Amino acid sequence: MESINGILPVVQSGLGSLAAYLAAHVILCLLPAFFTAGALMTLLPKEAITRYLGKDAPKWISYPASALGGFVLAVCSCTIMPLFASIYKKGAGLGPAITFLFVGPAVNILAISFTGVQIGLDIALARIILSLIFGIIIGLLMERIFRREEAARVAASSALFSKSGKIPGRNLALFALLVSILIIGTLQIPFLTDSMFDISIPSDWGKTLQSWLEKFIPANPDLGIEGVSVQGIFLVGLLVLITAGAFKGFGNVDSEITGWTIASLILIVLTLLFASMPVTVNSNHLTLGFTGRFAIELIFILAIWALAKNKFSTREVGLWLWETWRFVRQIMPLLLAGVFGAGMARGLIPANWIEMLAGRNTIWANLVGVLFGVFMYFPTLVEVPVAQTFLSLGMHRGPLLAYLLADPELSVQSVLITNTVIGKKKTAVYVILVIIFSTLSGWIFGMLIT
Amino acid sequence: MVIKILGGGCPKCEKLEKLAKEALTDLNIEAQVIKVKNMQDILQYDILETPALVLDEVVKSSGRIPAKEEIMNWLEGIG
Repeated sequence: MESINGILPVVQSGLGSLAAYLAAHVILCLLPAFFTAGALMTLLPKEAITRYLGKDAPKWISYPASALGGFVLAVCSCTIMPLFASIYKKGAGLGPAITFLFVGPAVNILAISFTGVQIGLDIALARIILSLIFGIIIGLLMERIFRREEAARVAASSALFSKSGKIPGRNLALFALLVSILIIGTLQIPFLTDSMFDISIPSDWGKTLQSWLEKFIPANPDLGIEGVSVQGIFLVGLLVLITAGAFKGFGNVDSEITGWTIASLILIVLTLLFASMPVTVNSNHLTLGFTGRFAIELIFILAIWALAKNKFSTREVGLWLWETWRFVRQIMPLLLAGVFGAGMARGLIPANWIEMLAGRNTIWANLVGVLFGVFMYFPTLVEVPVAQTFLSLGMHRGPLLAYLLADPELSVQSVLITNTVIGKKKTAVYVILVIIFSTLSGWIFGMLIT
Repeated sequence: MVIKILGGGCPKCEKLEKLAKEALTDLNIEAQVIKVKNMQDILQYDILETPALVLDEVVKSSGRIPAKEEIMNWLEGIG
């Protein structure tokens, strides 16, 4: 009995994180973010950026272009490495290639929006701005340090870098609409969150369900564990339905859009809309609120639907949806396991450990954050729930940022592949520079906010 | 005929390989399909991005998944 009493709160802590996470964060933030990432991968002609990364591009163009390229092109590691190697060997050279490599994993639409919702807008913005600045600085430093070796290297060149590409207006419109939905879904301002009018549905079971949920997955504000609402449990149910439909509807969507595809898409839209309505449980009825968020999401979703149907070919839409689904399948299972694990850890790690190591914004604390990021390897996006656990256990936001910058940059896997492209010596210098600059970033950010 | 699929085992590369094999079956053509995963070997070809399809040492597509009809045209020597 003793041990069961010990395990139960830990499992509850994990379940609580998982359910609260699915209900609150996945839908309004990650659903649109996955669609945006899929669209960027398939509908953004890469030549529009790679044309600025050729051998003859001046520095003041190639460095910012590399940083931007890391931001929009590199949503998955299978794009980063070949492009990194190509820029290094056949294009603008070591410096811009390093900038691209640095910015890619840390700053992409999925990581940024997720960080913003889970941890806070300050950290998300710092993650973008500091990554872009330090990405360029580290690139310039690497080029400076290895300028002799680089000058001696006979670089190949590729005609591919001079291929020009324009982004069609319809694609830009689609990106803009998708990003707007992402922002509207996550921004917490009264116009979006306040209800314009309510409707009530009579129900006796609402209250019962609520008290049952509170008993089974209790909230614990001390540890930052959110409880699960009645709306939350419905949203989790809808997500399960979407997943089932998506396996049938999205698996081969690149060759054929079926009834299952359309059904899954409609379900996704309804779920997004339901998630943007605040639901309150009263003794004998449920109240649904119609918010500004609901209205704007509805208008934008309809606009996207019309745009995709009229201005894009079936094949383009199919490839976009396939890519989106591919991201979901690749990232979500690991992310869910990570959220559960990080939630359990919250119940296990004694709070004073984290506070002792990184509770204050010192250089030492920032270095601890960075080193933890280097030695622990978490799959894409899992660094975010892990960071949230640290935050709730008393980590200062400075070291937290340092950790969030270093973790995706320096996984063992990425260091090994970097090594095969640029060699041991350059990789070692790169790793040291990243450690130094991530530590500094966290420290500076920590000072700015306190 | 030798078809090479360049790419480090990402889902896109597997999709491309599957499409290439389907195209071969549809046309009833015999060909060797080789997966190239080593980064150094991949960089021998003039591509910026994987997955890429190489037909008898000529790069036919890179950074995207071509339609099956496109691959069939290449196999028949039309495209």
